[in-house]
Amino acid sequence: MDNTAKNLPDPRIIFALVFATSTFAVIIRSDTVAMAGLLLITIICGLVLGVNFIKLSKRLKRLLQVMVIITLLQSIFRASGPVILYIGNFPLLTAGGVAMGVLVAFRFLIFLAGAFMFTLYPVRSLIQGMVQIKMPYELAYMVSIGIRFIPQFAESMQDSLTALQLRGMVFEELKFKKRMSIYSYLLLPTLMSALKQARELANSMDMRAFRANPKRTTFYTLRFKARDWVLLFCVALATGAITFAIFRYNFFTMIFGF
Amino acid sequence: MRQGIGGMLQIRCENLHFRYSGKFAHSNFELNVGEFAPCGKCTAIMGNNGSGKTTLGKLVAGVLAPTSGFVYYDDVNIATLKLGEIGKQVGYLFQEPSRQIFAAKPLDEIALPLTLRGVDEGEAKEIAAKMLAKFDLSHIESSTTFNLSRGEKQRLAIAATMVMNPQFFVLDEPTTGLDKPRRHILADTLKAMMEEGMGIILISHDAQFVEDMGASVRHMEGGVMLDG
Ligand SMILES: Nc1ncnc2c1ncn2[C@@H]1O[C@H](COP(=O)(O)OP(=O)(O)OP(=O)(O)O)[C@@H](O)[C@H]1O
Ligand SMILES: [Mg+2]
Repeated sequence: MDNTAKNLPDPRIIFALVFATSTFAVIIRSDTVAMAGLLLITIICGLVLGVNFIKLSKRLKRLLQVMVIITLLQSIFRASGPVILYIGNFPLLTAGGVAMGVLVAFRFLIFLAGAFMFTLYPVRSLIQGMVQIKMPYELAYMVSIGIRFIPQFAESMQDSLTALQLRGMVFEELKFKKRMSIYSYLLLPTLMSALKQARELANSMDMRAFRANPKRTTFYTLRFKARDWVLLFCVALATGAITFAIFRYNFFTMIFGF
Repeated sequence: MRQGIGGMLQIRCENLHFRYSGKFAHSNFELNVGEFAPCGKCTAIMGNNGSGKTTLGKLVAGVLAPTSGFVYYDDVNIATLKLGEIGKQVGYLFQEPSRQIFAAKPLDEIALPLTLRGVDEGEAKEIAAKMLAKFDLSHIESSTTFNLSRGEKQRLAIAATMVMNPQFFVLDEPTTGLDKPRRHILADTLKAMMEEGMGIILISHDAQFVEDMGASVRHMEGGVMLDG
């Protein structure tokens, strides 16, 4: 339970960091380069903390594949600017469309990298951290569901595909378009059922008294160390600097694209 | 191609050995079945929890690949088949029905794989509706699958696997969660399919059901097949 064993900063630092990067990722709406910069910063932070991105990405291979497809679709549907790829006479890819697709993909990767940082911590210290920053327990609880949800979702998706193949669908022989329609068909029910399972799991943990509510006396509390204060200061400073840069220099281009 | 009794698909395991591996597999369970072939039309596999029944079922249905040894359908080594090709011959019912239900609506659960096999949509829906009726599920035709009761899920999973008309059926504890009348319906339906030449491996703790099915019984213990 002790996160000093792994020599990690207090989980609340990570909350601040992920909150900042995710907020920027949402705010930036048209500047792909700024988004790339933000992604780079997030990844560097992750690497410093010791996130093994390669290992985790391998586990989420399917999810990443789906993301690539979404990027492509985005690129096709949000056409603007000079055309860079024609199919016959039909302009398939435009520079603006690709930039947009990549931007959305980067945004997603920033969220994902943030989620990866949380996986470094035991769930209990995360919930404790959330309760200690006075986050309502219900919200802390939702996040803890979320943490269980991702692996649950990946596994269910794999199960569904196996089940379909066992009923005689030769996945390897299907055309690309058909495969995609199967993925998209599976997405919603899988999502819903994984969510339901994660919720049931969280409920059952709750009933077995894992609940980290304030009414329960607990020996386990998180304390900031000197290093944590320094890190918090750094995060705040960087957040301030980036916010300033956005407002001072390219607020409009970044946010509205003009 | 060698054909078994009455044209039934002949399944045969040779030197079959399996051990779970991978990151989360910290288990020293080892399956060592050696030679095994289902005998007669319905072979029941019984044994204590953790004796390896599910593992054997998955190996036979190609969901797991053996560490060493082979599984043959007639004379084809299934290691050379894609999972989808296996699925065209052998049906597999998961022990846990929610692991195999993928659609949002029971009707789609049955109809979708049919359309993927080239049945046209209207016809697939019709067949699916009939199948649901057979298992007394018509009233929940368009409920949400993951909210179904345990027994309803079980019946849906059975119906959805059965509709593919497999030549061979591996059923992992099909009667779990079923009430008595539903067990009878299941036994009757399976028997009718056996009449038409389908073979069955029936993994079960339900001695009554095994008897009703007229199965020949094999016992497993600690990953090994006893007697026979
Ligand atoms: N994915 C896995 N990784 C590691 N070990 C596993 C895995 N799946 C099953 N095992 C182990 O293999 C052994 C046999 O499991 P199996 O599911 O085949 O048993 P079973 O006979 O079907 O039991 P039950 O009657 O409870 O269904 C068990 O000891 C189990 O813990
Ligand atoms: Mg089992």
